[in-house]
Amino acid sequence: MTGTPLENDIRRLRLERAGMTQQQLADACQVTRQTIIALEAGRYAPSLELAFRLARAFGVGVEDVFRWKTP
Amino acid sequence: MTIGRWGWIGLLAVAGTGLWLLLGSGRVFGHDIGGLGMTLLIGCTWVALYTASSIPRGEFEQGASPGEWKAWIGFAFMLVATLYFVLHAEAFSGDDRAAARRVATNLVLLLVAWTVLSRLMASRWKDRVQEDERDREIETRGAAWGRGALVVGVISLAVTLGLSPEHKLQWATHFAIGNILVFVLMIGWLVEAAAIALTYWRDRR
Repeated sequence: MTGTPLENDIRRLRLERAGMTQQQLADACQVTRQTIIALEAGRYAPSLELAFRLARAFGVGVEDVFRWKTP
Repeated sequence: MTIGRWGWIGLLAVAGTGLWLLLGSGRVFGHDIGGLGMTLLIGCTWVALYTASSIPRGEFEQGASPGEWKAWIGFAFMLVATLYFVLHAEAFSGDDRAAARRVATNLVLLLVAWTVLSRLMASRWKDRVQEDERDREIETRGAAWGRGALVVGVISLAVTLGLSPEHKLQWATHFAIGNILVFVLMIGWLVEAAAIALTYWRDRR
């Protein structure tokens, strides 16, 4: 569960949306707040479905949220 | 309902007493002290969960998801059940079926209590997501650990029964073997519960 090959901008995008809380994002994506915490900390790689839900919650594309970690 | 710090300390003391009685043996005034201990332990758990359910939501669930709460409480119940089984194992090796029935009854009561308490917990979070893909992934990994422990236990038993000389297998009655298989199953569940709880804990560090 620790460490994924992906990086994400979930926290930045969330705060840019009028300070959206982790719980609000979790409710929008139908996951627990702890999953959002794990995603922001880079400890969990979401499924394709969850990745699309997150992108839709921010109104952006999936590649605007996730990217491969740079070596 | 709030009970304050001393209330929680008192509750913990009563629960500890209940646990000590549950894991003990014998009778007091004709009553099985294991049953008394079970009653105290379950009663304290009820009071604790009822009190906790009245704590404001954000404050109570800070940091831990519903899945993690269930995992830790499930692990605690499984640990108590396994310890109880081990400390009363002699009830299943002899001919005292009444003693074995008492132990089995208390184990079933623990299972019923856990089932009821998990329903109570689920009702607290009924308007929130209780399990998501990350929870299922953690459960899958935990189940793999439990399955491994079960396989090791069964193979160990099979090797013991198959390779031991006959004169060393006097203890291996049908009744004893049946109960050993149940114990191996409990160990598998305990390992699964521990793996799930530890994965949640490590994930939050």
